[in-house]
Amino acid sequence: MWQQVEQSLHDSMWRVFSKVAQLLPGILAFLVALLIFLLIAWGAAVIVRRVLVAVDFDNRTKSTTNALTELAPQQTPTLLVTRVVFWAFVAIGIMVGVSAFEAASAEYGISAYVFAYLPHVIGAAVLLFFGTVIGRFLSRSVLITAVNLNLQYARLLATGVRWLIYVLTAAMVLDHLSIGGDIVPLAFGILFGGIVLALALAVGLGSRDLVSRSLEREAVRPGEPPVEEKIHHF
Amino acid sequence: MKEEQIRDSGQTTAAETPGATVLLGITGTVDSAMLQQRVQELGAAFDARIIVAAPGLSETNESSIQFRSYALPASSPENLPWIITSMAQRAICSLAVELQADVCVLLHSDLLMLRADLVQWFAQPVLEKRCDLVLPVYASGKFEGLLNSGILSPLSRALYGHRIQYPLPLDFSCSAEMCAKLGAPHPSHDLYADEMLWPATVAAVAGKQVYQFHVDVSHARQTEGIELRTALASLVGSAYIEMEKYAAFWQRNRGSRPTPVFGAPAKQAAEGDGVDVKPLIDSFLLGARNLQEIWGPVLPPVTLFELKKLSRVPPEEFRMPDELWVRIIYDFALAHRLRTISRSHLLGALTPLYLGWVASYVQEATASSPFAAEQRLEQLARSYEENKPYLLSRWRWPDRFNP
Repeated sequence: MWQQVEQSLHDSMWRVFSKVAQLLPGILAFLVALLIFLLIAWGAAVIVRRVLVAVDFDNRTKSTTNALTELAPQQTPTLLVTRVVFWAFVAIGIMVGVSAFEAASAEYGISAYVFAYLPHVIGAAVLLFFGTVIGRFLSRSVLITAVNLNLQYARLLATGVRWLIYVLTAAMVLDHLSIGGDIVPLAFGILFGGIVLALALAVGLGSRDLVSRSLEREAVRPGEPPVEEKIHHF
Repeated sequence: MKEEQIRDSGQTTAAETPGATVLLGITGTVDSAMLQQRVQELGAAFDARIIVAAPGLSETNESSIQFRSYALPASSPENLPWIITSMAQRAICSLAVELQADVCVLLHSDLLMLRADLVQWFAQPVLEKRCDLVLPVYASGKFEGLLNSGILSPLSRALYGHRIQYPLPLDFSCSAEMCAKLGAPHPSHDLYADEMLWPATVAAVAGKQVYQFHVDVSHARQTEGIELRTALASLVGSAYIEMEKYAAFWQRNRGSRPTPVFGAPAKQAAEGDGVDVKPLIDSFLLGARNLQEIWGPVLPPVTLFELKKLSRVPPEEFRMPDELWVRIIYDFALAHRLRTISRSHLLGALTPLYLGWVASYVQEATASSPFAAEQRLEQLARSYEENKPYLLSRWRWPDRFNP
């Protein structure tokens, strides 16, 4: 009996090692392809950056990229194009590596799956980038506007806006990657709806007195002239 | 130049330069009939050929006065009044070049400045003294035009070396040569369609002679319905863009020189009683509590520390030192240039700091006379000049010099 156990252990180990040995050339081929394309990506990014700086790309595209520089001041058009070129080569490298892995390891169907999934990953990355940038931008806009309107809860408002956008982005990214199935939209709907309902209740109940006082004041003093300002900024 | 000499020269009339062409440009839409009547009255005082230009005028060609219409450039509805005025000023300067006018007098569309004596003050230095730009010094109280006296005027003085009281005037006059410079289309015109016209800066950079004269006129404020934040962002943002454009000039320029001023200042009404600075201080404190994440990347640690200290003093002792205020303006200029954060956020975050400065100035100037308040503002302007080396260091080496 011990001989049979020993034999089966020996066989399973042999199968695992032979499987690993079969996969090793594929993994090595994947890493080599990725490394080569990383080097190409780095070289291409350096060349593109130098060319764009030489042709004064940022100034030439100023009129069309104002929105981008407002949203993300540190992201100049040159930097953005350079990054797109770099990551495009990295993506090509991954695809070549996966093909090489498939060819070397005789594991069929991997490249087809990865090629089909890659656009989702790219889309998700773009969503994540814009979601983060827009969340930060809107949060700052709300903060500054609220401070200039003398709202005491300015920071709370800004944080609320930022996290609403982050949660929305996360839900969109997960949905795009097909992770979590129906749970993500469902959870997001409940969470978002809950937040909006809570805010509506808070404003409705908390500001009831404030609104009625304001309306009363307007009704009592309809024609009151505005107070003359003693300080003039202009 | 002594004021007496200037006054003597002011007593001569434009009739001494017959044959000269004076273009009177109105920077906005006006009632044609009223304008024509006012100009007829004016015409008697001048021997020169007068061309009056305003948008939508019916063109007539009488003996000595000619009426011309010019097209007011298309502007978007959200454009602020001073941007529209600047666009009109550019259009009038271009027309002056086209008509080969010897002097171009640009007046606001409320026509308050359309008086024989004032137009003479505008035209004469250009025609007789080879002056290139004449700017008005408007009558204002010690708590009026604070954005101009706290930022625009002293900043312009420190950078470009001309002591100009209103660097962004609603009325001015200029020579044919200056008209060519002011009316010249920008190489990338569309990009700078809403750029404001800073005649004093253009004159300083071109090395032109500038005169000023006191007027007893104060235009109605054009800021009804416009938030302080929006106006401040527009005006200070424009000043910062000019600063970036002429960086090579102002980095070489040292100190400032007085600009000749004609006439006597208009008497100011007593004011200052019961000015409540508490809302201003509250706005500053609210900003200090909430805007650290915006101020942090813009202001150096020393300035942030000073602001923190300032936010803890009792309201009656609230004083913002000149050096602190000036360095804040310079640091924001640098952040505007480097785009450390979005420009709209940057300029929005300046508003509570500006209100803090206003509160400090009002507390200091409330009990003082108009003359003393003027001296106080002169002291602030000198502080801008004294701290220019700080701006130069930060502008040239933003990473290495961050006290």
